[in-house]
Amino acid sequence: MAVDETSRTFVHPLYGWLEKIPGLSVGLTTADAVLSWGLEHSLWVFPMATSCCGIEFMATMTSRFDMDQFGTFTRPTPRQCDVMVVAGTITVKMAPRVKRLWDMMPEPRWCVAMGSCAISGDFYRNLYAVVPGVDTFIPVDVYVPGCPPAPDHVHAGMHVLMEKIRQVRKGTFRPNADPAAREGLLRPSIPRIGDPDRDPALSRAQAEAAFRMDPGCQVTPRSEDERDVP
Amino acid sequence: MPDDVLALFRTRLGLEEVPPEGPFVPPETLPDIVAALKEMGFLLFLYCAATHWPATENRPEAFTVAYGLRRPGPGSSTARLRVRIPADGSIPTLSGLFAGADWQEREQYDLVGIHFEGHPDLRRLMLPEDWEGHPLRKDYAIDTHHFPWR
Amino acid sequence: MVDAHPSHEPVAPALVEVSGLSLPAAITHLPRPDPYLNVEDYEPEADAMALNMGPQHPSTHGVLRLKLFLDGEICFKAVPYVGYLHRGVEKLLENRTAIQSVPYVDKNDYVSPLTGELALVMAYEALLDVEPPPRAQVLRTILMELQRIASHHLWLGTFCLDMGGALGGGSSVFLYNFRERELILDLLEALTGQRMHYNALMVGGNRHDVPPGWEEKVLATMDRVEDRLAEYEAMTVDNHIFRSRTVGVGVLDPLLALEAGAGGANLRASGVDHDLRRDAPYAAYGQVDVRIPVETAGDCYARFLVRIAEMREAIRIVRLLVSGIPEGPIGALKPPRHVNAVKLPPGEVYVGIESPRGELGTYLISDGSPIPVRVKIRPPSLHAVSLLPYLCVGATVSDIVVILGSLDPILGEVDR
Repeated sequence: MAVDETSRTFVHPLYGWLEKIPGLSVGLTTADAVLSWGLEHSLWVFPMATSCCGIEFMATMTSRFDMDQFGTFTRPTPRQCDVMVVAGTITVKMAPRVKRLWDMMPEPRWCVAMGSCAISGDFYRNLYAVVPGVDTFIPVDVYVPGCPPAPDHVHAGMHVLMEKIRQVRKGTFRPNADPAAREGLLRPSIPRIGDPDRDPALSRAQAEAAFRMDPGCQVTPRSEDERDVP
Repeated sequence: MPDDVLALFRTRLGLEEVPPEGPFVPPETLPDIVAALKEMGFLLFLYCAATHWPATENRPEAFTVAYGLRRPGPGSSTARLRVRIPADGSIPTLSGLFAGADWQEREQYDLVGIHFEGHPDLRRLMLPEDWEGHPLRKDYAIDTHHFPWR
Repeated sequence: MVDAHPSHEPVAPALVEVSGLSLPAAITHLPRPDPYLNVEDYEPEADAMALNMGPQHPSTHGVLRLKLFLDGEICFKAVPYVGYLHRGVEKLLENRTAIQSVPYVDKNDYVSPLTGELALVMAYEALLDVEPPPRAQVLRTILMELQRIASHHLWLGTFCLDMGGALGGGSSVFLYNFRERELILDLLEALTGQRMHYNALMVGGNRHDVPPGWEEKVLATMDRVEDRLAEYEAMTVDNHIFRSRTVGVGVLDPLLALEAGAGGANLRASGVDHDLRRDAPYAAYGQVDVRIPVETAGDCYARFLVRIAEMREAIRIVRLLVSGIPEGPIGALKPPRHVNAVKLPPGEVYVGIESPRGELGTYLISDGSPIPVRVKIRPPSLHAVSLLPYLCVGATVSDIVVILGSLDPILGEVDR
């Protein structure tokens, strides 16, 4: 799996309060179930829509497919969002911006790679200007394949994400991707986040490149123990 | 191409036969001929396409730049011409005549590496400013790496 | 149809003759701002400020970055930055055979993929000197017009979305437009099996024949789409806020539009009577009498009116053609068995077609090998975006969003 689940923490202030009061600690599981339910049914989406998949993502949000019924809603700013849906090809020129926007999103946050360009670069994968998959610099939770995926596929992907959130919160999530099973696939020119052969210096170089992007912008890099900058 | 354009090419360039894909024009006369075409009603700028021809045993490395203009309105027609320049040559800009040539020339400068003399703002258009090389040249590998993103 | 706005009443405007063209005098030879103005030399009346819009901005229609230099709220210089979606399609096509290339151009103009396919396929056909059979030509024309309706639906929806809450509850026009766009996509899906990126054309003809009962579905959908057009007009033309945000905003000089290479509705809204479907007919456009809507005001409202009229015209063309699709094969060449099946002769061609955004051209050089030496795609959206440094000067930031929306650029096509 591309995501390191062990470092993904979510501490609600309610928990500390419940623990302080004698006898109320039994309420923790109930409170957690309620909070998880609220979390997974109010996923606000930041559409990182660059190309064709963005149009299908717009279609998913409209009345025929109606994503609103699951509490999923698009916001145009990363500061208010839980999920980044990367819909479209990410180029070398755009990648620092995507990385910067991802770093702006508050925890807990998830990433959905929508469409084959965001997953692997699709048939542009070997091209000089195209990043071979967004998971070479952002940890991706759910992959929705297709070129572009039909809106109902995006629905299914969001449901998989909800299920994953539920399992992670209950502690029952088991990553099912076996790295050996992927050996037959074409490897991208740079290793993905979570690949055992990935050089930690690469993550640092990507983060630095994103922060270096615009010298006029005052954004301080996150701490050293940030999980995607090992 | 329409007859008046063929006549213009014949008189200005001294050609007997004008090929349908456009005659080769010397780079220094390009702005004059394009200005004459603009006077004749070819007001719509179509394209500016540079091609890299790598060196072979028969010919040295060279570039060709093809231009297209269109006369709008009923019975619309196109005028096409080409310019051949050596590997280290440059070509006068058309951005003073046609606003549309501005970005097309920047794109050709970016991707093919042609220098357009007199262009007011010859910067890269598609690729980042710090990019090395010109991707549409034949000696540029399609899968060139660009650390740290690919 | 409601009464036109006072500034758009059908009075014959004064015309001026320029190089054989009759252009509306009121908007021709407007003063042109300098796109290379040195910001240091400008003396602002209020506070000067640089504002970055994009590349991730909900109203830049993709990944366009605009650097705006503002004097108070008025823009005095605008610098667009493109290339955030540069996918090197031209380099890829120089490494692919004619049969392999069609899916790549689908993704250029992802709002109307079929026109991108047609421009490339027609260039290969011109090079090979192949004429598709009549059935394929008529089917292609129907597909292009269906695609034009779908593309203009998406444009109208996002254009009204850009104007935000002014239009009776934010995104209502957007939601209504996507409802009708889905009907068109259903027709195309029934034909090709895909909602977008159809890969429906190939050199010498079409890839898919019509399924049984498709013609009746098309006619029924056309009726419904035409009915709904009146609804959109009630939501936009009747809306005072819509008019005050579009009338007189972003007036485009027809001479500048021509010289900058703009096309489609942007050109026709400025009074240039030019459309390749009528002036240089391709596919089966020679068989129908295409009526070209032209407006003379040159502002965002005129571009809106032209696109609405084009949708009606497209519905008329589809109705005319769909009832009389000729019988016969849909391909002039044998179905290819391998990717090198099409042998290219040496040559150099340019083919232009009228996409929903203007003249979409393909310039192709071949030296006789199976793959072309050079493919250049002439994108109408690139030229539309290159108009922004001229149109944005003197506009407020809120107007710039409307001007950008009214030009209808698709960034996939700009960057390729």
